[in-house]
Amino acid sequence: MTPRTLLRDIERKAWLQTFEHGLWDIAIGLLWLSIGVSILTGYVWMTPIWVAVALPSLQQSMRRLIVPRIGHVAFRKRRQRSTARITAILTVTALLGVVFFFLTSWSTQANAPRAILWLRSHMLAVIALIWGGALAIAGWAADFPRLFLYGAVLFGVLLGADLGLPYDMGESLLGVGALITAVGLILLLRFHRRYPAHEQEEDADA
Amino acid sequence: MRRTRESSDGPIEIDRLIHEPARLLIVAHLYVIESADYVFLMQRAGLTWGNLSSHLTKLEGAGYVELIKEFVERKPHTMVRLTDEGRGAFDAYRRQMKALFEDLPVEGGD
Repeated sequence: MTPRTLLRDIERKAWLQTFEHGLWDIAIGLLWLSIGVSILTGYVWMTPIWVAVALPSLQQSMRRLIVPRIGHVAFRKRRQRSTARITAILTVTALLGVVFFFLTSWSTQANAPRAILWLRSHMLAVIALIWGGALAIAGWAADFPRLFLYGAVLFGVLLGADLGLPYDMGESLLGVGALITAVGLILLLRFHRRYPAHEQEEDADA
Repeated sequence: MRRTRESSDGPIEIDRLIHEPARLLIVAHLYVIESADYVFLMQRAGLTWGNLSSHLTKLEGAGYVELIKEFVERKPHTMVRLTDEGRGAFDAYRRQMKALFEDLPVEGGD
């Protein structure tokens, strides 16, 4: 291993440690869960409220649960940009998917353009492509490999629903959301066992 | 200043301040990130608080790192950052070590 590769490895390990705690997984899982519940119950307002509540909660949880255990690190600009990208991509595509779903569901015009009718008949496949693709792009942009897996699972489950498997979109998202949340909770428990909390001992560095 | 330098007739001088394994890990981490606090560096370098503090004091004394004191939720919090001088010293150290090992003759294992 050359020195440059070793340094890159050090940086990547430090970066990946910031995803070890599972809070991102829980946030993403609960996002799909909330979309699934809002589709099943018809309460469309649940998802925007969840996004508005989740982002500050995630920030607070990081500060209270994660920072005392692995400390605080500011990455260089390239990494900082990718964190902003992952949040933006996931939020925008989740909302786009919901908007697309409700627009096509509520459209009752029989004389709608053929493209809209085609999209309506393959709505789940289109949403599978948008959300699965978004997760994969976010995984690539943030160098967060688990997102590829989540994207593939979401894509597969929604495509299955489109191809006629006996579950609908709401149930698909509920299942995938529950699965991702469970993975996140397991990672969080493992993280807590692995890293004990430290307090900054400011006098020691005087 | 403990800069690495190469003399034409004398032995190669290595920056011993960076060469020490624990400090090498600290500087390598600070080289690839922007800044980090004590807890992060303790975790990544596998050091105790006292050890880390002692190494950082030496690095700070040489001007290689700077300690940025701030308050987070009314609690004091220290971030550590590699200075331009520290970055330059680490670059020089890398070049020196690379040259040192590249000059070694390759021997077949026995």
